[in-house]
Amino acid sequence: MTTKERPKPFLIPHYCKGCGRCIDSCNKHCITAGTEIDPLTGLVPVNLDLEACNGCGLCIDACPEPYGLSPMPEGVDPSNFELQDPAKLFGEKQSAAPPTSEIPDQIIPLPRVEPLVIKGNYAAAVGALLAGCRHFFGYPITPSTEGAELMAKLLPKLDGFFLQAVSEVATVNMMYGAGGAGLRAMTFTSSPGFSLMLEGISYMIGSELPGVFINVMRGGPGLGNIAPEQTDIKLACRGLGHGNTHAISFTPSTPQEMLDLTMLAFDLSFKYRNPVVVLGDGYLGQMTGKVTLPSTMKRPGIPAWAVYGDAKHRANINTSIYLDETDLEKHNHKINAKYELMEKNEQRADLFCADDAEVLIVACNTPARMAKGAVEALRSDGIKAGLFRPITVWPFPIDLLRKPLEKAKRIVVVEASNGQLEDELRLAVSKAGIQSLPPVDSVRHMGGILPQLEEIVAEVKGKKVAA
Amino acid sequence: MSTVFYDKFERHSHAEGLKGRSTHYCPGCGHGLAHKYLASAIETLGIQDRTVIVSPVGCSVFLYYYFDVGNTQAAHGRAPAVAIGHKLANPDSIVVSYQGDGDLASIGLAEIVSTAQMGLPITVIFINNAIYGMTGGQMAPTTLMGQESATSPYGRNQYMGQPMKMAELISALDGPIYVERVALFDAKQRNRAEKAILKALKLQVENKGFAFIEVLSECPLHLKMTPEEAEKWVKETMSQVFPLGVKKDLTETEAWFNPPAAIFDPGMVMTVIGGENQAPKRNCTSFPAHIAPNDISLKLAGAGGDGAQTAAMLIAQAAVNEGFDATHIPSYGPESRGGTSYADVHIAVGEVLSPASPRPNILVAFNAPSLAKFGPQVKSGGTIVYDSSTISEPPPAPAGVKQFGVPFTGIALTLGKPVVKNVVALGALQAVTNIFPTDTFLTAIRQALKEKAKVIPLNEEAFARGQKAVAKQ
Ligand code: SF4
Ligand code: SF4
Ligand code: SF4
Repeated sequence: MTTKERPKPFLIPHYCKGCGRCIDSCNKHCITAGTEIDPLTGLVPVNLDLEACNGCGLCIDACPEPYGLSPMPEGVDPSNFELQDPAKLFGEKQSAAPPTSEIPDQIIPLPRVEPLVIKGNYAAAVGALLAGCRHFFGYPITPSTEGAELMAKLLPKLDGFFLQAVSEVATVNMMYGAGGAGLRAMTFTSSPGFSLMLEGISYMIGSELPGVFINVMRGGPGLGNIAPEQTDIKLACRGLGHGNTHAISFTPSTPQEMLDLTMLAFDLSFKYRNPVVVLGDGYLGQMTGKVTLPSTMKRPGIPAWAVYGDAKHRANINTSIYLDETDLEKHNHKINAKYELMEKNEQRADLFCADDAEVLIVACNTPARMAKGAVEALRSDGIKAGLFRPITVWPFPIDLLRKPLEKAKRIVVVEASNGQLEDELRLAVSKAGIQSLPPVDSVRHMGGILPQLEEIVAEVKGKKVAA
Repeated sequence: MSTVFYDKFERHSHAEGLKGRSTHYCPGCGHGLAHKYLASAIETLGIQDRTVIVSPVGCSVFLYYYFDVGNTQAAHGRAPAVAIGHKLANPDSIVVSYQGDGDLASIGLAEIVSTAQMGLPITVIFINNAIYGMTGGQMAPTTLMGQESATSPYGRNQYMGQPMKMAELISALDGPIYVERVALFDAKQRNRAEKAILKALKLQVENKGFAFIEVLSECPLHLKMTPEEAEKWVKETMSQVFPLGVKKDLTETEAWFNPPAAIFDPGMVMTVIGGENQAPKRNCTSFPAHIAPNDISLKLAGAGGDGAQTAAMLIAQAAVNEGFDATHIPSYGPESRGGTSYADVHIAVGEVLSPASPRPNILVAFNAPSLAKFGPQVKSGGTIVYDSSTISEPPPAPAGVKQFGVPFTGIALTLGKPVVKNVVALGALQAVTNIFPTDTFLTAIRQALKEKAKVIPLNEEAFARGQKAVAKQ
């Protein structure tokens, strides 16, 4: 290439910030500092005098602005060039990326097999595999670790990825990445680890990204202990990081539900483009039970919105930043509309002898099993007891509670926490405008102790027993 | 202008007026140059469709205004973790983590160090301008000694620690294959910077490994200098502290990153999960209601290593094989400390309600403390089986409870394998309670030992000996 053929630089003064970086890059001294303020930008663009220019291009390399100094387009005469519309010069397209498109999920029939006899943590892991999750990120923490260990054992056999992250903070951000790419990603954690993930969960909600968090709750606050406590109901329902955040939060009470609800969690997470939390408790994680496998599994596709890293998804972006206040408010309205849909469609509860119950016991997770046993015992003693077991704590299944509330003369909330479930109950009742709530009593334990059947029976019968 | 930049920056204030073509960066800021070199590398390598850029928190948070590629915006410091998520989700994607000094060298240290060490083919562009830009000129981890900033108004001193030399730190790790520090202050350096960024990306395209390019950049605004002075400062002062050049180059490494596609074959998935399509033969004609009408509660208690948990699992498996519901909960939490280990098991016709066993129908005790603690809790009409090898003087059985001593440990020792004492205990349990037929237990044992078939005969023998020991009494 001879010097003659090299294009000389070209500059639309409005795109020049007058930084002067180009000035000393030019050995031929073609560029000089400007003296006139550009009325459009308020900046002072440089002057170009290309008499001596040899087209070396060094000034172009020195200009930080993408549309600053550029090689002269063919056919432009800079001496009488007048900018009218930049689009006329560079074309009108905003992005050359093809329109985004979806690769749909596939539902694949499974061979019928015998029920498994496995721990709750294992059941959730198996559920994740059947839901099509092939990406696990996590940090070991008792009492959730067996779930992660099983994934570490099984995922490589399915050519999936198990990755032990440097921390829970990194974990949730890996999920942000993999979920943002449109794939099914998950983690197992326990209360202190869940606390660390909250920032990332807020970002996932803000960026509308899916992901499944299995939080096998343990005793707190602080390091607490590794025994079962329903200590994070408050976090899952009211404290998922900063900002306007909610996520569907399941409270399974059997290994079977650990599997079923984990599978459902993936589907809902993608349906709403929002994280989903499965709150187990330490007891349930360790509990072995009979688990029947479903008749189908999923081979997930790639949603249209994903930032997958291919031509079909190039136009996409995952972000939670909206600089303009009206844009951010609009975004929050959009998120709120999703919350309303979830509140309308995703309330779940299990009712046991609740229709005619005069004493309605409210409990979830493992304490609900003790409560169910207590209901049977009380019924055999002629006491009309029933169980209302929320399967989602957010949204609280208030619509399903209305009917049993008509008959109930007394409510007993049984929980392994300081009243976090009762708070959700009261808030839901209040928001639903339910005027008359019968007296609410409670059987509560903290520190890793679970309410026992006998205690519940005694409370209902009006007796206290020593714990 | 590179085709990798959008023709119009729609995301920049909806491309109003000149914002459709101008960056949000201050005049003379180095970010724009790094952007141009990155765009030109993407264009040169023909990877625009495959590229995902993770933008950080900092002045370059809005990198996605400009790059016509897949864009992701990450939480402060977490871009490398997000990059890993993207890379593993689609190993064919080209993932760039673009970060500033506060993001990478302060709040995100754990993420960058661990990601670099992991060595996945990811490209990190690290813009070091020795100051916090977006938040308004505070001290950065890379601020020089003596340098004034909004949070080191009298100059950085020893109490604030020394500047972080990230390129050196990252190059000391085993994970990365290419680490270079470049600058932007003159044509020669800019040329090097452009080449380094191209090379770092190329190494990813070739599936070779992790590359880290530190770019000494100018922040004229917060250095309170003209762009020209800032260039001079980086050249004469900053690059004295942060020496330029290649810190590590293993670019001759073999390509290695080529993971196979994930498997979704249902047969394979079932095999991996361990689903059995053959129903085990049922031996029970009805629920063992002679023990309890519809829900039997058991407790197995001993010291860690006695095998109480495994025995409990086998009972639960046996029950499910017979079509009943069953649960097993290991001793858990504080109780599992100090060497005690106990298991609660329930077997129910329908559904197990409360899975704990505070008042068991059956207790299997492996040592004296367990027998002393749980013996009195056994329900009237219930049964206790204990290890008479370790418990020579058992307390009297509670009223209405039958109590049997069987030398679990002694028998296991004669078989040469003390660990099978739990299977001896199961044999004894079967003989004493007839909870399930012998074959039900043996099936469960064989299932559990599927992958260790060699030890099945030994376990069968242990079970039989446990049964015989009861028959002799
Ligand atoms: S192309 Fe070279 S000679 Fe011409 S103005 Fe630019 S730097 Fe100067
Ligand atoms: S380098 Fe670009 S922005 Fe800076 S003065 Fe020159 S033309 Fe203008
Ligand atoms: S504050 Fe500094 S780093 Fe940020 S855009 Fe301005 S010059 Fe660049």
